[in-house]
Amino acid sequence: MKAAQRSKLFAWLVGLFVVQFLVHGLYVADKWSKSYASAYRHGMLTEQLDPSQIMLELFGFREFLARILWVRADDFFDEGNYDAVLPIVRLCTILDPKNLDVYSTGMWHIAYNFTDDDQRSDRRYIAPALALGKEGSKQNPETYECFFETGWIWYNKVDDDYDKSVYWFNQAVQRDDILPARRNLLTRAYLRNNQVPEALDYYYTLLDYANKDFEKNNTDYVAMTQRETIEGNLDNLITRMVQRGWVAQRTGTYGQGDYDTKPPFDVGFSARISVEDPKVLRFQGTWNVLPVGTRIRVVVRDEDIVSPDGRRIDGPAKMDWDYANSVNLDPPKEVTYMQDECYVKNRHFDKRDDLSKDPTMYPFSRRNKRFAVEFYYNPRSSPDSMQDKFGFNGEGFTDKNFLSTDARPGQRVVFWRTYLTYDQIWRTGEWEHKTPIISTPNFESSNISADTNRIITLSPSIRGK
Amino acid sequence: MNAIVAIASTTVGEAVRRRVLLIILLIGLLLLSIIPSLGVLSARSETSTMISTMYAVLRFTSALIAIILTIYMIPNEIERRTIYTILSKPVQRWQFLLGKYFGAVAALFLMIFLMSIVMITLFVIFQHPDTAKIAEVAKQPLFYFIEMCLLAAVALFFSTFTTPLVNFFLSIGVWGIGTVLNPLYSSLSENSKTAPFMQSVAKFVIGIMPNFANYDVKNPIINPGTQIENTTFYGLTIIGYGLLYIGILLIAGMLIFDQREV
Repeated sequence: MKAAQRSKLFAWLVGLFVVQFLVHGLYVADKWSKSYASAYRHGMLTEQLDPSQIMLELFGFREFLARILWVRADDFFDEGNYDAVLPIVRLCTILDPKNLDVYSTGMWHIAYNFTDDDQRSDRRYIAPALALGKEGSKQNPETYECFFETGWIWYNKVDDDYDKSVYWFNQAVQRDDILPARRNLLTRAYLRNNQVPEALDYYYTLLDYANKDFEKNNTDYVAMTQRETIEGNLDNLITRMVQRGWVAQRTGTYGQGDYDTKPPFDVGFSARISVEDPKVLRFQGTWNVLPVGTRIRVVVRDEDIVSPDGRRIDGPAKMDWDYANSVNLDPPKEVTYMQDECYVKNRHFDKRDDLSKDPTMYPFSRRNKRFAVEFYYNPRSSPDSMQDKFGFNGEGFTDKNFLSTDARPGQRVVFWRTYLTYDQIWRTGEWEHKTPIISTPNFESSNISADTNRIITLSPSIRGK
Repeated sequence: MNAIVAIASTTVGEAVRRRVLLIILLIGLLLLSIIPSLGVLSARSETSTMISTMYAVLRFTSALIAIILTIYMIPNEIERRTIYTILSKPVQRWQFLLGKYFGAVAALFLMIFLMSIVMITLFVIFQHPDTAKIAEVAKQPLFYFIEMCLLAAVALFFSTFTTPLVNFFLSIGVWGIGTVLNPLYSSLSENSKTAPFMQSVAKFVIGIMPNFANYDVKNPIINPGTQIENTTFYGLTIIGYGLLYIGILLIAGMLIFDQREV
């Protein structure tokens, strides 16, 4: 090759290099990142990736790797090795953020499956589960699933802050691919959030959907059942709106009528907490409601709970479950938050919780001087049969001593909080040989004795046996 | 031109006869054929799993073929001294290099085409997709072909001055880094904790290296519902980008090979 030819080729080389640099820098790199790099969409995951995870992007096999890993996670799940599933869930969502199975199953797994010896779930995992749901819905805005699953955790697992479940279910129903029956849950969330008119409106919307489906194929049994279910639910709601005095309250005639919610029923809550052994607590109390099945929430937690960024996130019988905006599957190990339900039968409850069996879940860390013990009952979470007496918002119930309208602003709930010291929980110091007992002033131990007047005698079976 | 075509056709013939390439191709085809049974990997996204796994096999096998096909081209000719016979004829060194490259590209096309046909046939048999979906699935192999042409150019460039063993690791390394460049760029540019200087450095490094990740466009194919604008323009741009980079590598290879003592 002659020198002139070499120079010309060299000039071409430089020219082409500059052009490719410009083409790639000005268009291709950004376009690829925005459109084809699903794992990096919205920049959401980038701040959480470490170099080893970035390397998994190598060769572009991320979806393939994610699916192989997910099968492995399934094996771990079958073996009951739940801790091993967590990093795989995270890795799978990073590698393939379009894999809805990982998000929905992962959220459920994180929120529900880490339990103590008595099957109480570790509620410190709720915030990460919700954060995973938030991420999943941002990554998959075109489908309802992550929105619905996030709403479900708020509705079912958190069972509080119902505006959140309304928000997420609302997002889910706006996606066309939602299963018809799943739309119904939005009405339930509306009712728990005291949005009765919205629930009623949405039932009519659902009825329109169901009618259209039924008109398309009037021999379709599913469409027929769906229509009938919605009609039944709508009838029930309208009846309840009237019988519970909801309509009368809006028309200013509540005082004149005899509604199921009148007069407000005093539930007569009282409670006693005993620390029988180190980290073994017994909750006893009364609940002056005959039907069995009321569940009174009891929470034992650190007095102050703060988020990783230093915000205080504890509240009356709750936490700010929504504190995490990024997924961190390593929940605060130092925090103690136990939530249980005291089951009421024969107008009293008696529950013994041995928290000593699960030291990692209930560390009762020494950095806390004392721990809050809270009892909480919200009529909005109670079954329809109870709400028929207590009303949509607790207007049909009261408690002489523990009715609170502050614990949940705008709601009538029963709430009592007391504190146990570190020494009391651990039975150390002066409490080593003395049982700490804290009671409400109205608690009488005779109230929970086997008083025959308080025992419900079951009616003979309708079968005559 | 005749010289280039003659060398290219000879190269294709040699490539088709090389056992190691045929074995890799056979393994690729076998792997592709067992993929439909891997639907168990994801109960609800069987189609996505199948497509992404097939693409993974296709890409990896093609890359191996592209590298192994190309790294021996020039060293073998030198070792067997056949290059003297060729260069003693009125054939320029650059023509020899181009002929070898086009031969490799043609062989690559044949092998990727064969694997793609098997892949699409299996996809049709097991998933019963409509024509639009088949056309969509067939897009990615086209981009993989361009990617492998670029990889072959990289390996050919290295083969003008290194031994096959060194070339193998160099090419694998460049391909590996090239596939991670875009994610790395995204990571650095979108991470608020990255210093602006580092972002500029990342952008520069990514700008000068051959970027193979550009050709990984399967996201909307395996994730239905993903809306992407200007796909045609993007496709044409990355084909153009690939041709530009191949041109750069071939010219650099010609310049080096021209000076090399054989």
